[in-house]
Amino acid sequence: MKKLLLLLVSALPLMAVTADAIIKSVQHNLQSDSGYSRITMTVTTSRGERTMRMESWNRGNEKSFIKILYPKKDRGITFLKIDTTMWQYVPKIEKTIKIPSSMMMQSWMGSDFTNDDMAKESSIVDDYTAVLTAEDETTYTLTLLPKEDAAVVWGKIVMEVAKAHFEPLKAVYYDEDDVEQRVLYYSEVKAYGTHYLPTVMTLIPSDKQHNRTVVVMDAVDFDAAIDDSRFTKSALRRYSR
Amino acid sequence: MILFKMALRELLTHKKRSVVTLLLSGFSTALFIFANAISDGSHNQLIRSSVEIYPGYMQVTNREFEEHPSYDNLIFDVAKAKEELSGVEGIKASAVRFEAYALYATKAQSIGGMFTAIEPEREAEVSRLKSSLVAGEYLEANDTNALYLGVELAKRLKLGVGDRLSFISTGADYSFAADNLVVKGLFKTKLYEFDNGSGFVNKGYFDGVMQSENIATHIIMSPADMEQIDAVTAAAQRAVGDGLEVQNYKETMEDLILAMKVDEIFGYITLGIFFIVIFFVIAIFAFLSVYARIRQIGILRAIGTTPRQLVGMLLIEALLLGVLSVGIGGAAMSLR
Repeated sequence: MKKLLLLLVSALPLMAVTADAIIKSVQHNLQSDSGYSRITMTVTTSRGERTMRMESWNRGNEKSFIKILYPKKDRGITFLKIDTTMWQYVPKIEKTIKIPSSMMMQSWMGSDFTNDDMAKESSIVDDYTAVLTAEDETTYTLTLLPKEDAAVVWGKIVMEVAKAHFEPLKAVYYDEDDVEQRVLYYSEVKAYGTHYLPTVMTLIPSDKQHNRTVVVMDAVDFDAAIDDSRFTKSALRRYSR
Repeated sequence: MILFKMALRELLTHKKRSVVTLLLSGFSTALFIFANAISDGSHNQLIRSSVEIYPGYMQVTNREFEEHPSYDNLIFDVAKAKEELSGVEGIKASAVRFEAYALYATKAQSIGGMFTAIEPEREAEVSRLKSSLVAGEYLEANDTNALYLGVELAKRLKLGVGDRLSFISTGADYSFAADNLVVKGLFKTKLYEFDNGSGFVNKGYFDGVMQSENIATHIIMSPADMEQIDAVTAAAQRAVGDGLEVQNYKETMEDLILAMKVDEIFGYITLGIFFIVIFFVIAIFAFLSVYARIRQIGILRAIGTTPRQLVGMLLIEALLLGVLSVGIGGAAMSLR
């Protein structure tokens, strides 16, 4: 199946591709059915820089688990996302807290990413209709518009995708009033089997040009063996240690 | 003098007519004073309540804070700002606040709301937070982990005085912040939204958890004399320099002030219509009383009174009645 997908991905540039096919290839590059990654996140503001390290496990788009490793004072904070619901366990207060939907657009751990980004609540394939709006020798430009019944927070996403392996290069996020909110740059593409994954992502909020959040994938495993028990509420506390 | 005597005699001779005119004019005067006082009083009261419940008469913030209220735009040296403000005459009291957003969590649920640090005793001098206490106790300067919670938010969280909860938030340095709290007191103001989404802690404790030592979002100030508020605002602005912005309630609550002015204008229009009606009633009454004196006026003309003298006599009558009725109406309202 994977070889077939790889063949399909490799063959795509040779034929006239549709926006749907491009966005599905992008999704394939970014996501695994059962993945593990070690991540370093650096948040830069006008007042300084902070670094966090974490581990992340996911099962498709539906389930994910994140554990903070560094800094020391935040070590052991865990996050669990199942479908559209997100919980957080905080060792200091020994409490598991459900993140209400009203907080999904709040900053995640003080970064420029939101809880919604971390929960991957919305899927670029399922929740958006892709339209191919421009194309040059190396790049496709897609405009993603939310489907009518999709519970998404963005009014529009304009994404540039490399023709070579369908890895995303840049995504510009707009709100419902068509005002640019942030730009996400993808770089340092590495091949993991059939996945061409940008291992560095830089998010710059449009209204705070001196701020940025850089996410570096230090280690990635697209076929990790993950116990189902990791995606349960009790795992939040258990794997916090 | 003769005209004055004639006018006075006329008024005293026709007592019933004079009394009715006096009452009509006096009532109009009293009504005007009453309507004005009610309008001004209710507007001033509404502004005072709105300002004193929480926002405060004057505030200092980072110049960028109003447009971009983020942790990048805070007062980063509170001690320096306070020292600069201490030299400004006309500031009666001041208090430091740090307004943040937090997720309040109990075992059953979690709800987002304002999570604000205050200097308890100083805050009591610039807002009505302390006097809005309805259960438990107000905060003190040495409190730790004690939360002063809006009564409506407490209802939603199903919490009472002495109950425990937790908060998670983002510290002033963008780090993760969380701790356990105990509800020390509940407050209720006249602002439902405020009571439904606000919690307060002692700033000394907050600074440790939220990494906000010597940092604030606001310095709230009260003027010694309300009449001088614009001058004090300008003096405070000169003292703190360009990096910070000093505003008074006329700017921070511009919408409310504008709504009051619009309401005032509509009040005057209504009053104006009422006065036009009263004017015509009095005018008709005066016309009828002059018409009833047509014989007397004829005799006065026959014995040599000029039209000018006649008009003068009628005007003196009107003036006497007017002065007297304004006096009566004013006195009646001043006794209330």
